[in-house]
Amino acid sequence: MMLANYCVSIFLIVLGLYAVANKHNMIKIVLGMGIVDYGVNLLIVSIGFGPGGTAPLFVISELMKGAYFVDPVPQALTLTSIVIGACVDAMALSLVIKIYRKYHTIDSTEVRRLNG
Amino acid sequence: MFNGLYIHFPVLAVMVLFLGAFLVVIFGTHAKNLRRVIAITAATISFALIYALIKPVMLDGEVISYWMGNWEPISGYALGIGYEIDGLNLFFALLVEATILLSGLYSLRYMERDDYLDRYYTLYLMLSGAVLGLVLTGDLFNMFVMIEIMTFAAVALTAFRNWTAGALEASFKYLVVGSAGSSFVLAGTILIYAQCHTLNMAQISSMLCGSQGLTPTTLLAFGLLFTGYGVKSYIVPFHPTAADAYTAAPTSVSMLFSGMVNKAGVYAMIRMAYVIFQAMGIPAVQTLLVLIGTVTMFVGVTMALAQHDFKRLLAFHSISQIGYVITAIGLGTALGLTSGLFHAMNHTLFKGLLFLCAGAVLYSTGTTSLDKLGGLSKKMPKTTILFLIGAFSISGLPPFNGFASKWMIYQSTYAKAMETNNIGFAFVTIVALVVSVMTLASFIKVTQSVFFGQVTPAAANAKEVPFAMRLPMWIMAIACVLGGVFYDKVLVWLLNPAASAALNVTNYIDKMMGDGYAATAGVQNIEAHGATLSFWNPVMWLILFVVVFFAVGLVVVFGKGTRGKVLEESEGQEIEAKYDSFFGGEKALPSHLGGSDLFWGFKHNWKGYFHFMQRMHSGVVNDYALWAVVGGAFVILYTFVFLR
Repeated sequence: MMLANYCVSIFLIVLGLYAVANKHNMIKIVLGMGIVDYGVNLLIVSIGFGPGGTAPLFVISELMKGAYFVDPVPQALTLTSIVIGACVDAMALSLVIKIYRKYHTIDSTEVRRLNG
Repeated sequence: MFNGLYIHFPVLAVMVLFLGAFLVVIFGTHAKNLRRVIAITAATISFALIYALIKPVMLDGEVISYWMGNWEPISGYALGIGYEIDGLNLFFALLVEATILLSGLYSLRYMERDDYLDRYYTLYLMLSGAVLGLVLTGDLFNMFVMIEIMTFAAVALTAFRNWTAGALEASFKYLVVGSAGSSFVLAGTILIYAQCHTLNMAQISSMLCGSQGLTPTTLLAFGLLFTGYGVKSYIVPFHPTAADAYTAAPTSVSMLFSGMVNKAGVYAMIRMAYVIFQAMGIPAVQTLLVLIGTVTMFVGVTMALAQHDFKRLLAFHSISQIGYVITAIGLGTALGLTSGLFHAMNHTLFKGLLFLCAGAVLYSTGTTSLDKLGGLSKKMPKTTILFLIGAFSISGLPPFNGFASKWMIYQSTYAKAMETNNIGFAFVTIVALVVSVMTLASFIKVTQSVFFGQVTPAAANAKEVPFAMRLPMWIMAIACVLGGVFYDKVLVWLLNPAASAALNVTNYIDKMMGDGYAATAGVQNIEAHGATLSFWNPVMWLILFVVVFFAVGLVVVFGKGTRGKVLEESEGQEIEAKYDSFFGGEKALPSHLGGSDLFWGFKHNWKGYFHFMQRMHSGVVNDYALWAVVGGAFVILYTFVFLR
């Protein structure tokens, strides 16, 4: 089961990078960046997961020996990463809007005043 | 007096900057002077807190470990986020703080014509705090968060003057490639977590030592982290966005980029390669770093030769100089590491100075195009002298600091060649020398076309910049000279503690996790063969150069002649101010050459290479993203083939 998670996360990362490197529509580039983020997030959650584990929510008195729960650290990392990913998307899209107003296009091959 | 209190200084230094950012938002929106006071006060307090650590850490050799909220390790497992400050951290923190304060002082006057300055100071303090947090932290995930804050602030600052040509597209490219790099760092971090179940760098380092460190997971993590930090330090093939961003950003921000943002990437690479993976003893890793460093310095300088914009040229030089640093630290010897750190420090000083000179030119003329500028030495003599000091330093002329560090780099690469009997390292020495010559050539071109020659119409109304802008430039210029003359003091006080801290991994682990932790885990220090340092005595050269420098300077600044006369633009006649001093072409048919086209013969002979490189730097964001992905794939493949 976990193998499928890892495969899908790698697939998502590669798919996102493909979109970033090959799509000329800037909105699609931003979507590609988002897909890379989702792939990495899936990877993080999968690493923290153990089959059969419960949610890591305990008070001190409840915590017995032999309690089996999933690793909470990767979940905290994922939350941070999701927030950061949302910020990246918002910022990138606002830049795309600004670029559209200035260049009147969102085709990345035409937005190349700085080159050489 | 402050016995033991100083362990709180690093975290306070980071917090003061972030606090300043929020205070600017709350109180500085309308109060023009209040926001300046807040920004400079925050930068100064942070500067003082970090520089107060020189004595305990650099001179007394202490390692400060600080656990946030006092969450100390329990039974050998790190729970909280830790800050650990050894010589290496502190060395980079010193560079970062100097850059922050000087850039802040410069932007007081430089940015005063812009609006929305509350946003500028907020982002400036956020960027500063993020970079400082990045170099001080001892936690891998905290480092990732700081990298992200740094990228955001840097992207927003790149687009700050969004009415200038290219600012928006530069920031978009920076964001796309930078966030790809951040994703690589995050994936690498989490793979390390999967292997070690901890995020503390000292503990990871104790778990990854020896042969048990080289599982497929950690190899992949190494490749991903290498790529991610490489994107942040703008080495080839991740460099084109950096050139765009340096060009489009306000100059005080370009100085921040070249002074500390790419140094943060270099720091992360040193920390990862030397301490976390302890991989610098492996010849394959050395080859990888030296190869990438050499390519970076060559590509950077050749691209710089082809530029016609002052700031873009400096940006490519910045990339080239980072190549020197990466090459030197990639040698894996004590001498190599020391010389790399020395060059990183000198690069912060002289490149900051050069960027600020470009900013001064932009401030008084409104353009940075080499084809439009000319004859500024008459109008801005003080800036010209400052620029010459910076240009001499970056070209590696003897009394200045660039010479001392480049000399050490030549020595260390050659010593490595002698030690390993590998002709490749001797070849690297030759490339480094050639690149240095090309750097000098390119700065002759800039000096001629911006500061000397006839006064062009664009430069006719230029005035000397105010003293508040020249002050940070003078500070860096003096530091450039002092660093070259008293290199031995710099070596003893700053560089040796920093280099030995990077090589002393057991101490790093023990100070963080408790004494004897490293020995239990079986960590050994990296074997680094220190070669003996034999310097040229630069004092005689200093005297000679000072005499020549003043003679030339006097003639340039006070000499009479046709220079300095403003040429009137008459109708129907092309102005030829730029095409006065040099001739080229066929013998029978000499034609005038502009100062910005001095090396046309070289460019003509290498036109295949230059055309190829200019076509590669196409300006399309997809191409740059593809470069980054291919570079990452190459590094990961290399890791799996040669490190198994």
